[in-house]
Amino acid sequence: MRVLQIVKYGEIKDSLAFNEVSKPAVQATDVLIEVKAAAINPIDKSIVLGNLQGLLPIPFPSTSAYDVSGIVVEKGDDVSNFEIGDLVYSRVPQEQMGTIAEYVAVTSEAVSKKPGNISFEEAAGIPLAGLTALQSLEFAGIKANDRILIHAGSGGVGSLAIQYAKAKGAYVYTTTSTENVQWVKELGADRVIDYKTEDYKTIAKDVDIVYDTLGQKYTAEAFEVVRKGGQVISVVGPLDEETAKMFGMADYKLPEELATLSAEKDASYKFIFMHPNGAQLAEIKTMVEDKKIKPIVDTIYPFTESVAAFTHLETGRAKGKIIIKIN
Amino acid sequence: MEELIEKIKSNHSLSQEAEDYLHSISSKKSFAKGEVLIRQGQQVQNVYFVTDGCLRSYCYDKNGKEHTLQFAIKNWWISDYIAIHSDESATLTVECLKESEVVKFNAKDLELMLTLFPEFERFQRKILERHVVSLNKRILNQLQLTASERYTLFITQYPEIEQYTHNYHIASYLGITQESLSRIRVENAKH
Repeated sequence: MRVLQIVKYGEIKDSLAFNEVSKPAVQATDVLIEVKAAAINPIDKSIVLGNLQGLLPIPFPSTSAYDVSGIVVEKGDDVSNFEIGDLVYSRVPQEQMGTIAEYVAVTSEAVSKKPGNISFEEAAGIPLAGLTALQSLEFAGIKANDRILIHAGSGGVGSLAIQYAKAKGAYVYTTTSTENVQWVKELGADRVIDYKTEDYKTIAKDVDIVYDTLGQKYTAEAFEVVRKGGQVISVVGPLDEETAKMFGMADYKLPEELATLSAEKDASYKFIFMHPNGAQLAEIKTMVEDKKIKPIVDTIYPFTESVAAFTHLETGRAKGKIIIKIN
Repeated sequence: MEELIEKIKSNHSLSQEAEDYLHSISSKKSFAKGEVLIRQGQQVQNVYFVTDGCLRSYCYDKNGKEHTLQFAIKNWWISDYIAIHSDESATLTVECLKESEVVKFNAKDLELMLTLFPEFERFQRKILERHVVSLNKRILNQLQLTASERYTLFITQYPEIEQYTHNYHIASYLGITQESLSRIRVENAKH
């Protein structure tokens, strides 16, 4: 079968190649998915560039990407919750990475039936970003009337987080650039802050939760706008100590600046490391079918133009997800 | 099964021998919400008479989006008739929208019954006639009525179906978007 593989760490244009490989073997707990569409995320670009060599080393060549939607064409003997012919979507586990391919074998625990009211291409763009948003906001215990600041509302994670937070009844502040203000408003955010013309720190004050999807200075700034006793949740900042221990970093300490800010505000800091979860994708499926969450697709590329899809991702200017149509 | 026998006898004569034969080729089945009776792409052998619950038949297009063809509630029949009468793989999936009970018949057994008991043929013909009328009406409604009128007709004819269905099931059945359906519901609620 044809796949898009990472052949070395380096620039996008030098590091990706189409190869012919065997169809994946199906273990007892796996389903084999005929891939209709895959989606690429910032983590896919980071892996190619070599920025995650320490945390997520990969052998060469490795088939790229984690997000998929397609049809179950085979299943392992121990799989009872899916049948041949089911339309599904998934964010595959690290060891099964490789959805820019004609087929992918995935443990059934990471798979869910896809929302029936959207296409394969729209469904493929949901898993990684949707699970990131759901797991982050569920960790924060988001509930009705919570006030939350979600950075980068036009991004893959941000756009889904806005919708999830609104579905839970929260009041949502979000930041985005001028050209995205209108459509981000249409996602349901209560106060959209144009960071090009407004200072978000003067608008989103004393919020219960800050959802940091930007990192760098924004992680520290989160403690300026969160209320005393509030929560800062990040998916791009430094690890928190508990998460670092999970990765075997027993002596890890939160950077001093963040530790001080956190203590002064009595506000907690948590890094969320997204993990595959079929049951949570089933929850998202219902929300999509009930129109509480809608997928946002920027561009659908044919399989043959997968490298162009990565180049587009690299610009950081996509409004929604970048999808690769495989079959 | 008794509901089906009663339904047949209400308008047709049915000999004891035919009634016993019908019993012998039927089996009562219970399904949980979400269970699938017929799956798109597979071979189809059975037709189902609904004695309780609510089912839906649908297909998905090449983009992966679902389109509802039919709902079935108590005393309705449901199957993939294209597959059965054309000897092709199923083009539809039939699923339970709530816990349901059905009487299952093998299509070939029913076909044989028509040969053995000609009086049963009249019952089958009447079902088919009503089905043709229903399909023609549905096509004409699609051509002549507004979306709002089609929705009003739908909930008048099938008031209980809405409580078991997703918004998108009904929207696709009526051939409209979910957004349009929501707008129509809001408008209807005002009047």
